[in-house]
Amino acid sequence: MFASVRQVGGSIGSSGALGQARGYATLKEIQMRLKSISNIAKITKSMKMIASTKVTKAQRNMETARAYGQSANSLLSHIEVVQKEAANPLVVAVSSDRGLCGGIHSSVSRAVKRYMANHQESSIAVIGQKARNQIQRDYRENIIMHFDQVTKVGPLWLEASMIADQILGSKAEGGADKLENGGTIVYNKFKSVISYEATPLAVHSAETIAAAPKLAAYEVDDAILKSYEEFTLANSLYWALAEGYASEMAAKRTAMENATKNAGEMITKLTLTYNRSRQAAITNELIDIITGASSLN
Amino acid sequence: MLFRSALVAVRSAANFSARRLYASEAGSGGKLRLNFALPHQTILKDFEAIQVNIQSSEGDMGILADHVPTIAQLANGGVIEILAADNKPRKFFVEYLFILPHTAQSSSPVSGGFAIINPDSSLNINAVEAVAVEDLDAEAARKGADEASRKMNASGASEKDKAEARVEFELFEAVLAAAKV
Repeated sequence: MFASVRQVGGSIGSSGALGQARGYATLKEIQMRLKSISNIAKITKSMKMIASTKVTKAQRNMETARAYGQSANSLLSHIEVVQKEAANPLVVAVSSDRGLCGGIHSSVSRAVKRYMANHQESSIAVIGQKARNQIQRDYRENIIMHFDQVTKVGPLWLEASMIADQILGSKAEGGADKLENGGTIVYNKFKSVISYEATPLAVHSAETIAAAPKLAAYEVDDAILKSYEEFTLANSLYWALAEGYASEMAAKRTAMENATKNAGEMITKLTLTYNRSRQAAITNELIDIITGASSLN
Repeated sequence: MLFRSALVAVRSAANFSARRLYASEAGSGGKLRLNFALPHQTILKDFEAIQVNIQSSEGDMGILADHVPTIAQLANGGVIEILAADNKPRKFFVEYLFILPHTAQSSSPVSGGFAIINPDSSLNINAVEAVAVEDLDAEAARKGADEASRKMNASGASEKDKAEARVEFELFEAVLAAAKV
């Protein structure tokens, strides 16, 4: 009985739509919307679960990378190195190519733009297409190099090392060493599973390190310092990549969770609307039948 | 073996005289605080060691507490030996096989990592890759060394390939040497 009612209700609904013109959507349209929203909810739910598993692994990697990066940089605080004040330092923006991860890319590009407001002449190296698109809108001429397809499988020291090589390598071809005026790496620091913050990390050239007040206590020769500068740049980049990746996975998880929740709310609301429309259609059908039956009498 | 202990004796004598001239940092307590970290793994953190022997680009070094602050570059294919109170042997082989494009033509050795001794007797060793000597596979190293020497002597290879093969060969030879010891 109910199946036949639904069929009739469907046709009545569509003829009702012709009569209604504007007003709420027909039963069929609501049904299609419900179906597509529940599909989207399934997709975002599975994306959230994938992101959750990646977050735990990424967080472990990040703890290790943090310990490594802090240990590698501890010399700099011991010798009390001073960040060089120069007209055109280098900014490295660390982000990625992936979307659907909340405010990750805007966080880094906003921080870079704030920095640029005070250091108009800086050169920018961008890691990640999304951040590049955002920074390009305001500072296209300042971007000197960009790196795509980074952290596809997660942070790798190899990638960090290659990026460091590119940043420093132009000296070998007769260009100026990009790092000679000092540099800053801007990355999303992982604070917790639900929060991250764009943070700067200073990188120094060998000359700046050599000029540090307490370096005199150390036994070291200049060639080693140059090697140390390259090594530290690679380490700092690796640390930034690892933290950025962990923050991104956490943000993606949160974003997908919110999306699933919103889709769930929409499904609830739409289901109520659907049921109301269906019942209205049935009521109209009944009215027609009863009116027709009573007119015979 | 004899040479190494002589080296250690010379180092500690130098430290003793140095301590007379400069005020020493408080609280080293005669122990080294060692942080030995790799990018993907923290091997030791805040570990109390008595002595750490490393092979640096400048030569072998034995490091005790209150060693003069130093920045040393680890030699590629060197061995790090850590001596602690529990007498458990800890030896690690340091390697870094990837060759950066612009250094393959240069004469500087490829860096395996850095060891930095700070005035407060903390020692930070950062290596890109380090393997416990027990885990070294001598068989695979022998095969790798043969493969690399073949590539080195191949007639049609470019200079860059030959340079890469030479570094690989030296590395495998170092692995074999470390695995035997």
